[in-house]
Amino acid sequence: MTLDRKPTVIARTVTRLVVPMILVTAIALLLQGHNLPGGGFIAGVLTVTAFALVYIIYGLDYLETELLDRTPAVRYETESGIVREYGRVFASGLAVAAGSGVAAMVLGYPFLTQAVAFLEHLPVYGELEVASALVFDLGVYAVVVGALLTILAEVGAE
Amino acid sequence: MTQVILAAVLGLLFALGTFLILRRDVVRVVWGVTIISQAANVYLVTMGGLTGQSPVLGHGGEHPVACSVPDAGAECVTDPLVQALVLTAIVISFGTTAFALVLTYRLYEEHGTLNLGEVTAE
Amino acid sequence: MSADLAVSTTHVVIAPMLVALVTAVATLATRRHDRLQRALSLLGVGAYAVGVAVLADRVLSGGTLTYQLSAWPAPFGISLVADALAAFMLSLAALVTVALLVFSVVYVDEQGQRVSYHPLFHFMLLGVSGSFLTGDVFNLFVWFEVMLMPSYVFVAFYSGPRHTAAALQYTVLNLFGSALMLVSIGGLYATTGTLNMADIARRLAAPAEFGIDPAPVLGLSTILLVVFALKAGIVPFHFWVPPAYRAAPAPVSAFLAGVTKKVGIYAIVRLYFTVFAAGAVEGGLGLPALSGESFLAFFGPVLFAMALASMLVGGVGAVSRDALDDVFAYSSISQVGFIVLPLAVVATVSDPALRTLGVVAALVYSLNHAVAKSLLFLVSGTVYDATGTIEFERLGGLTTRFPVLSGSFFVGSLALVGIPPLSGFFGKLLVLDTGGRALAAGTPGAGLALAGALAGAIFTIAYLSRTWSQGFWGEVTPLVEHGSQSSVLVGVVAALALVVVAVGIGFDPVYSFAESAARAALDTDAYVDAVDPGVVARE
Repeated sequence: MTLDRKPTVIARTVTRLVVPMILVTAIALLLQGHNLPGGGFIAGVLTVTAFALVYIIYGLDYLETELLDRTPAVRYETESGIVREYGRVFASGLAVAAGSGVAAMVLGYPFLTQAVAFLEHLPVYGELEVASALVFDLGVYAVVVGALLTILAEVGAE
Repeated sequence: MTQVILAAVLGLLFALGTFLILRRDVVRVVWGVTIISQAANVYLVTMGGLTGQSPVLGHGGEHPVACSVPDAGAECVTDPLVQALVLTAIVISFGTTAFALVLTYRLYEEHGTLNLGEVTAE
Repeated sequence: MSADLAVSTTHVVIAPMLVALVTAVATLATRRHDRLQRALSLLGVGAYAVGVAVLADRVLSGGTLTYQLSAWPAPFGISLVADALAAFMLSLAALVTVALLVFSVVYVDEQGQRVSYHPLFHFMLLGVSGSFLTGDVFNLFVWFEVMLMPSYVFVAFYSGPRHTAAALQYTVLNLFGSALMLVSIGGLYATTGTLNMADIARRLAAPAEFGIDPAPVLGLSTILLVVFALKAGIVPFHFWVPPAYRAAPAPVSAFLAGVTKKVGIYAIVRLYFTVFAAGAVEGGLGLPALSGESFLAFFGPVLFAMALASMLVGGVGAVSRDALDDVFAYSSISQVGFIVLPLAVVATVSDPALRTLGVVAALVYSLNHAVAKSLLFLVSGTVYDATGTIEFERLGGLTTRFPVLSGSFFVGSLALVGIPPLSGFFGKLLVLDTGGRALAAGTPGAGLALAGALAGAIFTIAYLSRTWSQGFWGEVTPLVEHGSQSSVLVGVVAALALVVVAVGIGFDPVYSFAESAARAALDTDAYVDAVDPGVVARE
């Protein structure tokens, strides 16, 4: 990506402010997904928009050089560096989602059967709802993030 | 009234998509197919009925009677199934469209043209 | 203890899908370890075959099995239904897939396998299994997409200019098909109020009770037929077939022709003969060619025209091609015509015995085509692997140089032609028997069906003998002279040839399996009872 001039200070500052907000919103959507609007897919897409913003404003290598503190791998080499990690996120997400279904089978229920438990008298929270659907959502989230970031990084590199 | 407007919009979307598919430019063809699949999604949502409260518990979903049921009353809820279907359909068409766009890019790199007539002539 | 036993019985239904999914994830996770990945992939397909065998055994001995995902009762949840028809199609898929994967491990180059070959293959298998097992129209759409997405990547697998163009055409066409399918599914939901296949059948059987107008359902199911015809590559929706099959790696072409096409056929049998067969439009349509009142009576002539056109267009196309893959691709268009023809003939008859015979004919022919056509595509792959070409111009004398390979090709083509005692003989025999009995019963168009089938058979002989004389006989060309064959590839091909022979010789169990599958396909009431979509309303 070769831009003639760098994005303005305004764009950089706004990105710095907005990216954490997007990420927090994404997590909120992920956590409430099992019984309110939200869920793994939409949270994943939102997370990817945060990454996309960083890619557009700071360039493709920023994530690796500044945040992860390492040298980015040579591009045009199949599945190098960070793309490989995105692939790993995708695979583990798939494993988590499938595993959440199999877990129900191990307990003797049909595939993907979900349950919910309420934890009461907790400090600060009072009552907390723990839904097994969250595990599945988490898997979906990882699948979406992994897949979209792979596309983004690969296509962006071209 | 909403039905009439939505029906017109749907018709327009399908017409536009068909028009674009018949173009020679590959990018336009892909756009055309994308528009048609989005139109199909909008159509799918309208199939669940247009009025009604949200079916979520605590937000109007205490009276789970779908509006499509006869004599459902004013407090009926929108059918949530079609929305779940559409979400799935969107995810699928999103992935496929992304792949089609990548293929379009590669087609341009390999053939040096986006004109369908020239691509298939080889 | 008895409860545990009951649960373990039903889990068998989802076993093929779970095995494919777990294998896909496992091969995805072991991309860095070539040998481990390949071992897992082969292990997975072996487990898949075992799972399918157990499922088929349970279904044949104990009747239809159903499985409600997440324990939601039908019609609210996602139902999986394993009846004899689904079991037959799954067995067909498992039989072919085992051979294809063993072939792939040797045939596809190291780099290609490392990239994503194995996970994609198992995802494709997952999509196919899901399509066979699902009892829900929308889920059929989802599994179609799961099956198609890897196939898009496979068509573009070799990433040459020709492959990209073929993949783009294939992708765009199927995207359009998916949109059509969504439209008809949405309409079905709005008109019938349900997406569960058994529930649709139940409601169509008593339209007044559920307040349904059957006429729009007929129109929507026609749109759905277009989608299935596109998947099965029936004329006039066949044009994507040759470029896609040519571009994909040989084992994948074999999978697309042998298994993926059969998903389209399965969907036609399942939806039109099990589900929509329950529907009827009162007073008929009033069109001259489409008489009768039941949905099937309307679809009969349409399927009939498509089947005839497929046999002829595919036959004419195959005779004039100059490369192995091209001939086989056009041939598969023609062969799908043979599969659809008996279905079309019996759609208009009311005699249940004849109708069962027609569906049996279609199923047996599907099995024959799946094995024989996979065999031919694998022969093409092996020839390419040995000589580096599949063009007739540069081939010749394969019989002297590679006798086992040529012999297997010979067996495969004889099976397609329909020579006894190979599997194809019984396929052709049953198709012609269906036509003959329909003719005897005075069904209009049965004579034309017989004539078309004979013409199609003559075309089959013509293009296969042309392939034989141009590619396998004659002077040994330099490429053939210096070629060297891989023993594993030839072994797989020879094994498939043995399967073709074995199915023909031990045809009795195959026939009884196909017959119970056909009975299951035509027994709408039993299907509805097994899924039991009315259970919640009764409680």
